[in-house]
Amino acid sequence: MRAGTISVTDLQVTFRSRQGSVAALAQLTLHVRAGELACIVGPSGCGKTTLLRVLAGLQTADAGQAHVQATDPARPTTGMVFQNGGVFPWYTVAENVGYGLQMRGFTPAQRAPLVRRWLAEIGLERFATAYPAQLSGGMLQRVGLARAFAYDPAVLLMDEPFAALDAQNRLLLQQTLLRQWEGDGRTVLFVTHGIDEALTLGDRVYVMSARPGRIIATVDVPFERPRDAAALRSDPRFGALYGEIWSVLRDEVARARTAELAEAGV
Amino acid sequence: MIPRDRALSLLSPIALLLAWEGAVALGWLNRIFYPPPSEVLVTLADLAASGQLARDVGISLLRVIAGFLLGAVPAIAIGILMGIAAPVRAAVRPLAAAIYPIPKIALLPLIIVSLGIGEASKIATIAVSVFFLVVLNVAASVMQVDPRAFEVARSFGARARELFWTVALPGSMPGIMASIKLGVGYALTLIVGIEFVGANDGIGRLIWQSYEVYAIDRMVAALIAVALIGWLATVALDEAEYVLVPWQATSVRIRETRMQHYARTWWRAMRPWSYTAAIVPVLLGSGIAAAAGTVDLWLLLLTLIGSVAIQGGTNLVNDYYDYQKGTDQPGSIGTGDALLQGALTPRQVLIGGIAAFGVGASIGLYLVSVSGPLILWIGIISVAVGFFYTAGPFALAYHGLGELAVFIFMGPMIVVGAYYVQRRDAPLGVILAALPVGLLVAAILHANNLRDLDGDRRSGKRTLATILGREGARIELYALLIGAYVALVALVAAGVAPWPTLLGLLTLPVAVRLMRIAAAESEPGRLQPIVPLAAQLHLQTGVLMVAGWLLALVLPRT
Repeated sequence: MRAGTISVTDLQVTFRSRQGSVAALAQLTLHVRAGELACIVGPSGCGKTTLLRVLAGLQTADAGQAHVQATDPARPTTGMVFQNGGVFPWYTVAENVGYGLQMRGFTPAQRAPLVRRWLAEIGLERFATAYPAQLSGGMLQRVGLARAFAYDPAVLLMDEPFAALDAQNRLLLQQTLLRQWEGDGRTVLFVTHGIDEALTLGDRVYVMSARPGRIIATVDVPFERPRDAAALRSDPRFGALYGEIWSVLRDEVARARTAELAEAGV
Repeated sequence: MIPRDRALSLLSPIALLLAWEGAVALGWLNRIFYPPPSEVLVTLADLAASGQLARDVGISLLRVIAGFLLGAVPAIAIGILMGIAAPVRAAVRPLAAAIYPIPKIALLPLIIVSLGIGEASKIATIAVSVFFLVVLNVAASVMQVDPRAFEVARSFGARARELFWTVALPGSMPGIMASIKLGVGYALTLIVGIEFVGANDGIGRLIWQSYEVYAIDRMVAALIAVALIGWLATVALDEAEYVLVPWQATSVRIRETRMQHYARTWWRAMRPWSYTAAIVPVLLGSGIAAAAGTVDLWLLLLTLIGSVAIQGGTNLVNDYYDYQKGTDQPGSIGTGDALLQGALTPRQVLIGGIAAFGVGASIGLYLVSVSGPLILWIGIISVAVGFFYTAGPFALAYHGLGELAVFIFMGPMIVVGAYYVQRRDAPLGVILAALPVGLLVAAILHANNLRDLDGDRRSGKRTLATILGREGARIELYALLIGAYVALVALVAAGVAPWPTLLGLLTLPVAVRLMRIAAAESEPGRLQPIVPLAAQLHLQTGVLMVAGWLLALVLPRT
């Protein structure tokens, strides 16, 4: 069993600076089962990224618990896909895809077949020796995706990975992600600000409040798998769930706006 | 460019030159102050034919390169440290920032007071100037690396060491490269000024001397030569950028002309990274000569070019014969890529190799005329061994004699040759002092053979490694490496080499790493690192030994 579980209890993160302190997360509780694809939606600046950074070990919490439980000690617990791909411009596409494996101590000879497999998976075999500067935004995002999958973590953390893409590319990449995930049943925590994206991908959608972020609603997504990202939109249940989530989110977005204005001193 | 624009960009300089020529002919311009282009051209040709131009340009270049390396290498190391470690930054920055704005030429008298009027003060002035310029720029470029890249690396479990090698260093490479370009530009400006003041040779001296006797035509010819140096530096830096910052150079490469592509293909085919094997022994021989007296930079430069030309010729000719004999197959690691990839035809490679031998031979003959007949014999035998290394019915490399040939010819032979060129003498001590370098250069070749052991066996290539077998080959590698260090210590103990040459022992950790990999692996892909490691070991140990000989000049003897 390669999937891990996530359990977060009463998590609190506060950022301190000379201007004062800002509570990013407060009393956040969240549980993701093994093999589940969970989505988080919330207004911008609500601490979604902070939550992922805590889970990835990039940020320490002030109070509460955040655990990623993995059963296989040989595999890394978390791997992350970043908003803009997070691809290293100084490495070729193949070197980027193999980066996580390299950090796990795989030799070049051990990495090569895995890298080839993932390049084929994302359709970039011909770009193996290209540098990121020669790639489009959608291609870069695919490289970031392949790098995280090749790293083979128990839990995959995805931070608005498709936000910067155009609608068609986003749809294609959502389908790529679904195909991969449906194939290996890995646990995924997917952060997005798109309600439709959360409904398309997720088994369950967590709605986050405006800052300080906590979970204010949990919505189970009933669509059967394998899913077709394009066909789902015409399902009548899709519209109903969309409306349900939006009714919770609307007030939070308004609150986030007011807070932003207050901070800007207006 | 459309044809009209191209024509215009060609015509405008021609028009200017014609106008100048005409104005002098009509007496509108004084011939003494404004010599016409035709006269400058004749002077330039005279200067070139007499060898004076090449000599002055070569000496200036050598000063620039030596000063630049002495300044830039520590500057890059310290700059990176400043960029990643706040305490280092806090300690160094005030000093560097205070000294940085001083026009460094102003320091020349101060440096002459402490180092004398010779080469040392010129090189040191350039080194100091380049150091402060580069150190601050490198520190800044390290600090400008995208913090998100560090975050990404950490999310994949990278620790301090990996963060440095996979993020901080490559991320600051474009900035470091820019600093290097700045530094070279600065060094080129400085050298002319330095040579105006206190030099007997070099391109700056040529300009100043021409001014003193009002030979304006010669002065303009020298200016053209300065421009040529600048152009050479640009070409060299572009090539360096292509190697060091390939992800940025890709856009440049698309615009490459066919001529540039051709030049680059040849450059690659000659395997320039193997030249350290030819450069280190020349430096060692010259360094020993320096410790015994003085060094003529011009002769040193010629020896270097000659040695590199013979090495380049050997590489090309061997690629040709390896290709003909079918030893190198597509997919084999680290061989004559240009041939295997079809970038050059076998015939072109062979002709190129013979041409390189020709350059080496011409320089060799000149050196024979200024030093003595020993160089003739060294030259003839070196070219012969280089040629028959893989060619002819008794190819040395295919009869297990590769290491021995390389040991003799890239070790004692070149070292003695370089010493002889300077001192017209070949004492036994110099031959012995070359032993560590000879053993290490043989180790580079043997590392290659150890890696390719199985492939060579299949194609019937008899190297010492295939003859000895895997275990024997490993022991041979240990023997070569350990032998080099034993020789190093023994030379000092016997009083042949001065004690600072023990600096060479600093590379022991690299040797240990190399031996560990060789002991643990047998598959070519995993053995691959031993070849660059062996080359690194040879270069570093050799350079440290040269430094040791030079240090012995200033340090007290024990």
